[in-house]
Amino acid sequence: MSSPNLDVYMPIIILMAIGVIAVVGALLVGKLIRPHNPNALKESPYECGEEPIGSAWSNFNVRFYVVSLIFIIFDVEGALMFPVAAVFRRFNEIGEGGVLLGSLLLFILVLVLGIVYCWKKGDLDWVKSFQLSDEQIKQLNNVKES
Amino acid sequence: MFDNILFLLSASLTVVGAFSVVLTKNLMHSCVYLLAALFGMAGLYATLGADFLAATQLVVYVGGVVILMLFAVMLTGGDQDKENKFGITKVPAMGNTKTFIAGGISALVIALVILRLVANIAKQNPQGDLPNYMSTVVEIGTKLVTDHVLAFEISSVLLLGALVGAAVIARPARGDDQ
Amino acid sequence: MNSTIVSYLSQFDGHKKFIAFLSEVLGFDATALIAFLVFLIASIVVVKVMALVGGMGTYAERKISADIQMRQGPNRVGPFGLLQFLADGVKMIMKEDVLPKNADKLLFTIAPLMALVGVFGSLAVVPFSSGFILTDLNVGVFYLIGVSSLVGVAIFLGGYSSNSKWSMLGGMRGASQIISYEVPVTLSILAIVILAGGLSFSTLVNAQGGLPHQWYVLHNPFTFIGFFVFFIGALAETNRAPFDLPEAESELVSGYHTEYTGMRFGFFALAEYIEVFVVCGVAVAAFLGGYKVPFDLGTGDFLVNTLHLPPIIGKNIGQFLQIGSFVTKTLLLYYVVIWIRWTFPRLRVDHLMTLCWKYLTPIALFNLVGCAVWLYAFDGHSIWELFSQMTAGSHGGGH
Repeated sequence: MSSPNLDVYMPIIILMAIGVIAVVGALLVGKLIRPHNPNALKESPYECGEEPIGSAWSNFNVRFYVVSLIFIIFDVEGALMFPVAAVFRRFNEIGEGGVLLGSLLLFILVLVLGIVYCWKKGDLDWVKSFQLSDEQIKQLNNVKES
Repeated sequence: MFDNILFLLSASLTVVGAFSVVLTKNLMHSCVYLLAALFGMAGLYATLGADFLAATQLVVYVGGVVILMLFAVMLTGGDQDKENKFGITKVPAMGNTKTFIAGGISALVIALVILRLVANIAKQNPQGDLPNYMSTVVEIGTKLVTDHVLAFEISSVLLLGALVGAAVIARPARGDDQ
Repeated sequence: MNSTIVSYLSQFDGHKKFIAFLSEVLGFDATALIAFLVFLIASIVVVKVMALVGGMGTYAERKISADIQMRQGPNRVGPFGLLQFLADGVKMIMKEDVLPKNADKLLFTIAPLMALVGVFGSLAVVPFSSGFILTDLNVGVFYLIGVSSLVGVAIFLGGYSSNSKWSMLGGMRGASQIISYEVPVTLSILAIVILAGGLSFSTLVNAQGGLPHQWYVLHNPFTFIGFFVFFIGALAETNRAPFDLPEAESELVSGYHTEYTGMRFGFFALAEYIEVFVVCGVAVAAFLGGYKVPFDLGTGDFLVNTLHLPPIIGKNIGQFLQIGSFVTKTLLLYYVVIWIRWTFPRLRVDHLMTLCWKYLTPIALFNLVGCAVWLYAFDGHSIWELFSQMTAGSHGGGH
């Protein structure tokens, strides 16, 4: 038997197994006691009493995709920063904190540049289908009531 | 004992997930199978004692990339019908002779290359006990700011490029912008 | 290094004797078997307690909302309606299991399963006390961020698989909201990681003390703001009001679980309530001192020294005090979460994204830089230590 102590992952596996067993078990046990008499109306998707038109699986707005793209970049940056953050204190104790602070700040600065770019270009805005520009809003405010 | 169980669970999850990804024709399902395969990969990393890598796999791939893929599939309108609005089939013509030959040959070549690489490593490092379990976080962090500080900083520039590129490509055409 | 509940137990003599005895009887080394059994029992205990917390969460939510709105709330089943959640559970099992005809049957089943697995997986690293933590991974916080993002995928799949327009909208919103708010949450945890110097929960907690001024929330101005950023982000990540857009009743019927009935819906609800407990626990562990008890009561040294108890008893009493301290703080935060839900109106979806990307994320980045500079400039001393040093210094100068 090899030496690495992987037992620390045991509770995770056990807990996940309990989760799976709980869901499957409850659904199977429930099958014995719950009623089962489906009909076409029951099985149709709920649309407030209307007949559903078409499928819900339609082309979705691109804004969700943009959000998740930006998120992934931040996710990776976070993953890179975590180990550096974890050793910061140790470095500080041996008097080398300045080097680490510098590289961390540089890293964050580049990250901030990315946010500033996206902010300025309006990628952080939630795209609305109908949106007035600032000038149009100004014009709208200037329209006199007649 | 538990090492083997963990390995077998993760490996089977990875292999079964990976095969299901290519065998199913439903895009959404294959995304979910991919999630299973990536989850299994995290388990494999954990078996090797690379705990930080395993957690990174969870955070970046399971939490990020899979959701991105699901959104990307939703951009195409999911898997509602096999034809898009222009009448072109979305599911590419799988399984004719040409694709099988191309796929077979490329699989063979890749397998040979990988085997060649692995053979070297296996020859030089005979199988032995795994090293004692220890935290990799501190080691990675120390390496990132000492030996590989340039890579660390440049990766931030790379990510900046990725962010800008992603924003530019995915930017919807605004009505009044030219 | 990687302490678990097994390594806590193994410091007692009885544990070793028991293993030796069992090894003799069975004829092989029983250490692994005992470890498995201990983990299994502890996991089942945690899951049962958490199911109870989830169930009582639904009860508490209704009772507190009733209080806030001057209603009675559930009061028929059991004393004060306390057994309401059992009645709900029985009702859910008895309910018909409706599978929409156009639904994606596989994903429809996988979605609640994935939500529950993700939440249960995150329970493994919740630090109830210094001994009773199922596994104190070296990458604890990071692992928790990763595994709880499974819930986001589950919500998306739940919305997608139902093939109903309400569900679809709710699922898309839910997934994008969860991943967006993960950014400020991760960044505020990073700030704490910088101060504590480690990713495991025991490192985070042990760097703090039992009294409020030793907590990280009051460590310096940046962590003080960071706590609120974290808490707001955590509310959004668990889809709690005022961020409950994925299930906004008034616009999306019921959001991603519109088509779910019976137990399948129950699992989504259970996962949500347990996740609220988990994120409150993380907030407590990272910012509010975790399981620390004031005056060394937690380690048992105080009791041993004053009452002359045997160390083993003092230690175990200390463990219970620690669990009490952690659970009390977590449930207080849980109360705040429910209180917020019934006090604030729901955000609009574009406001939600603006709040995340234009306010919380920059603030969290600012806090991160602030904490890094603070650690470098003041050697990690808290603001109170600096004050006391300053007053001590001025006294010294005066004389």
